[in-house]
Amino acid sequence: MKTTATAMTLALVASAAMAEDKVTIEFAYPYSHLFDVTYEAMMPAFKEAHPNIEVKFRATYESYEDGTNTVLREAVAGNLPDVTMQGLNRQQPLVDKGIAQSLEPFIAGEADFEKDGYHEAMLSLSTFDDAVYGLPFSVSLPVGYYNMDILREGGIEELPTSWDDVIAACKTMKANGIDNPIFWGWNITGNWFMQALLWSQDSAIVDNGRVTLDSPEALVALEQMQEIFTECEMQNLEWKAALASFSAGEIGMMFWSTSALGAVERSQGDFELVTGPFPGFDGKPMGLPAGGNAAMLTSTSDDPKVREAAWTWLKYITSGDGAAEVAKTTGYMPPNKAANEIILADFYEQNPNKQTAVDQLPLLRDWLAYPGDNGLAITQVIYDSMERIVTGDATDMKELQQELVEEVADLLPNG
Amino acid sequence: MARDLWKHLVLIIGAIIVLAPFYMMVSYSFKSPGEIDRGEGGFFGRQELMVDERCVKLRDPNRDEIAAVAAQYPGKTDRQIREEIMAVAETECSMRPVVFNYSKAFVEAPLLRYLLNGIIVTVSIFAIQVLVALPAAYALAKLKFWGRDAVFGLVLFCLLIPVHAIALPLYIMLAKLGLTNTYAALVVPWTISVFGIFLMRQFFMTVPDDLIDAARMDGMSEFAIVWRVMLPTAVPALLAFAIFSIVAHWNDYFWPRIVVTGSRDLFTPPLGLREFKGDADGSFFGPMMATATIIVTPLIVAFLIAQRRFIEGITLSGMK
Amino acid sequence: MGVVEIDPSVTPARERNRQARTAWGLTAPALALMFLILLVPVVIAALLSFTNYSLGNSGFEWVGTKNYDRLFTRSTYEKMFIATFTYVVTVVPISVALGLGAALLVNALGRIGDIYKTIYFLPVMATLLAMAIVWEFMLHPTIGMVNQTFELACGTVLERIPFFANGCAEGFPLWLGDRDYAIWVICFIGIWQGFGFNMVLYLAGLTSVHRELYHAAEMDGAKSAWERFRLVTWPALGPTTVFVVTISCIRAFQVFDTVEAFWPQGGGPNKSTYVMMFAIFEKGVQQNLIGIGSAITMLFLIFVMFLTLIQRWLVERKVHY
Repeated sequence: MKTTATAMTLALVASAAMAEDKVTIEFAYPYSHLFDVTYEAMMPAFKEAHPNIEVKFRATYESYEDGTNTVLREAVAGNLPDVTMQGLNRQQPLVDKGIAQSLEPFIAGEADFEKDGYHEAMLSLSTFDDAVYGLPFSVSLPVGYYNMDILREGGIEELPTSWDDVIAACKTMKANGIDNPIFWGWNITGNWFMQALLWSQDSAIVDNGRVTLDSPEALVALEQMQEIFTECEMQNLEWKAALASFSAGEIGMMFWSTSALGAVERSQGDFELVTGPFPGFDGKPMGLPAGGNAAMLTSTSDDPKVREAAWTWLKYITSGDGAAEVAKTTGYMPPNKAANEIILADFYEQNPNKQTAVDQLPLLRDWLAYPGDNGLAITQVIYDSMERIVTGDATDMKELQQELVEEVADLLPNG
Repeated sequence: MARDLWKHLVLIIGAIIVLAPFYMMVSYSFKSPGEIDRGEGGFFGRQELMVDERCVKLRDPNRDEIAAVAAQYPGKTDRQIREEIMAVAETECSMRPVVFNYSKAFVEAPLLRYLLNGIIVTVSIFAIQVLVALPAAYALAKLKFWGRDAVFGLVLFCLLIPVHAIALPLYIMLAKLGLTNTYAALVVPWTISVFGIFLMRQFFMTVPDDLIDAARMDGMSEFAIVWRVMLPTAVPALLAFAIFSIVAHWNDYFWPRIVVTGSRDLFTPPLGLREFKGDADGSFFGPMMATATIIVTPLIVAFLIAQRRFIEGITLSGMK
Repeated sequence: MGVVEIDPSVTPARERNRQARTAWGLTAPALALMFLILLVPVVIAALLSFTNYSLGNSGFEWVGTKNYDRLFTRSTYEKMFIATFTYVVTVVPISVALGLGAALLVNALGRIGDIYKTIYFLPVMATLLAMAIVWEFMLHPTIGMVNQTFELACGTVLERIPFFANGCAEGFPLWLGDRDYAIWVICFIGIWQGFGFNMVLYLAGLTSVHRELYHAAEMDGAKSAWERFRLVTWPALGPTTVFVVTISCIRAFQVFDTVEAFWPQGGGPNKSTYVMMFAIFEKGVQQNLIGIGSAITMLFLIFVMFLTLIQRWLVERKVHY
């Protein structure tokens, strides 16, 4: 009896001790249609390497905007996750409000961080005030997706290189009976394509704390959009519907982030899919905004074990192993150099469509955040204005630009 | 007879329009992504084996993994080994669409947990509503006290305030108290049902005073009278109220959407359904329809069983 | 134990006091909750509507009527009012009329009518979000059932109708992306979901219309069904109609689920479906602009209260017979 009792007690204590070793961290990420596969692919290897860390996945954010507003609300409610994935343009507000924590102390504790593939250009995307606040997880650039079957049917053999080419292609296709020649991703998160058109002209949407929507480049951007939408008679599809439509083989050209490439390839119908560089105004663009998200530490826990576990997870997903999964399952580019050691040598040769974005890397520029508290509201205002161009509600671009500047000025901090 | 035929015709056309989405929902929950996209397969779909693309992608091997199994594939290049592994993955990741849809529904997100949350939340809300409303209704109907009219006036005034309308300040109050993302946040704003008080009061007013006087003579306290005398007489109205309350709160999307953010543990069924919406590549439409079917079914089944009572109840509440 | 005679018309003071104390005790929880959950938030919303508060900020500033100014001048909010009122003015009359029509038909069919009663009530029970998602797919421009059904009409005599002629040539509308159609789609789904409820209420009302009234009307010369309806049924349904219209109006004002499901951001193409509840959600919760969110809340409350009071007044005046 006594031995059984002792044995049982020992077992209980042992299991309690083992249970104590298990640390749980809470994690949230956006765009389930893109990243569910990615994280699922990473988990087995992570569990093997770190059996005592349990990662609890919270509900996914619908978009980067949703991610930011959820984290802001959770900060007030005292309910933050330990690690959160935020759009590159949404990091700054979280840093300013003290919600995201500096990763410098953890980096200092690393033996050979740079060697693990975290090169300076990569970290600069998440560096604010000379401190690193996030580890970039995935980087994307705008590209063109082309359904070669439809293009050929419409009489187009060559991929367009400028917006004029695109419009000419639309017209040719329409003349040859193609109903739906194009979808241009104006409604992508964070006004990314607006920023793309501005960077293409080497102009930043935010300059020295000022939003530059009143510049001549902004007018050019608005007019170019109007030309594309009206000449091509582009339909006002919601972006998810557009992706589904393109995958089903119904749209000829789609201009979107390279990020969806993995998802599109998995669900595409029977047609030849080719990606091409993002067209510019007179030939190649002068710059393009970097899309993607970074992992940030927002843990409110005081327990050093939890913080250590969060850091471990942060490092793992952005390290070579994690980054390789990113490249394999999505169209994003892994920012970590070490990823290339793990991915098959001929990965990009086997996946030429994913190479397009990589080729455009020299054009990489920042995805800018709007100053002040009302970044989300400003994004919505710009989004609404672009929509008015698509639906034909706004026809005078100068007038539209005026209204836009006024409304945004209202939402900016004074002075 | 001819007149009746015409009536049936009109009603049948109406029925088709009303039932169309239900038909589609259940039908899609049986179909594969391809069949959904192309709108084919009849009601049940052809149930041909389909390949779960995500399952296949997960088994895409790394360079290390290929090196590890290279011994089993003598004389083949890395690329050939990968292709063979993927071919095996495709066979193993094949399953019938209906199995894929319904199993994903339960696996991708903790659907059972969501259903449980739905039950916990609706039952708690109803229980507290009754606890609060019944005594107040009794007092307003049967007891004489100074201020009774004022209190009833307040009830009437509060009937003008839909809780959804004041969601914003309620949310701020809860956020300040740190109570968002809790069951309390899901339940508390609904605990006061002025409609319930109003309804029960109307009902109680029809109960003969003799019944109550007799109970008083027997020495019952007013409190006891509420639960032992009034409650049994009000069962039909309570049932109606229960159905109202449970249906409304099971299906409520607005309030939980505001008050519950990341933690899935608290998701009510509609929030759980929304998770599947994040999908853009269309391959998860089947599981989403399966989830929708599962969420909608309990209430409909309950309704079909308890139809009479239900409609009686609405009648009672509407008419009084 | 003697028999105590109680004269029911005189309640002695002690008894009255006892009743009063118990009554307050019994109503206390309800009163407290009414105060905390219904009244205090209204006051808070009223106060905050004059500030520029953001949740998470430590303080706020009083901005006077700036928020209300914006509500009445900015085109975005003009669209909000248009969307909300279009919805209410469309959904309420149609769903009430359909409810009445269905009730009359079902009532006339006796037992067999019960099947229709059940069918028409199903949408009321089903989670609106779930059904909205199904509708969203059915309304997909190419692979959705609705447009595919319309395409069946191509090549038949129906093509004479302009809508079909256009559709067969250029493709049927992008229901959810077209600013001209989006609001009507929402209205349709709202009617689809709500008329069954109205039908049931009317069925109940119909059972209380006395048979003798019909006999009397017949004797007075009312022969056709329409005359019977006009002279007997419709007036008798007065109270029911007021109730049905009130409930339908309040529910219509609160439309949210379908709008957020179809357009999680922005409030529809060109904000054509930017209804008030969605605006409150977007401004107050998503964008954390509590000041203007509260201002919209106050306007919303005023509309609902006003509507309900009008209907109360109507009941008092017109429906006493």
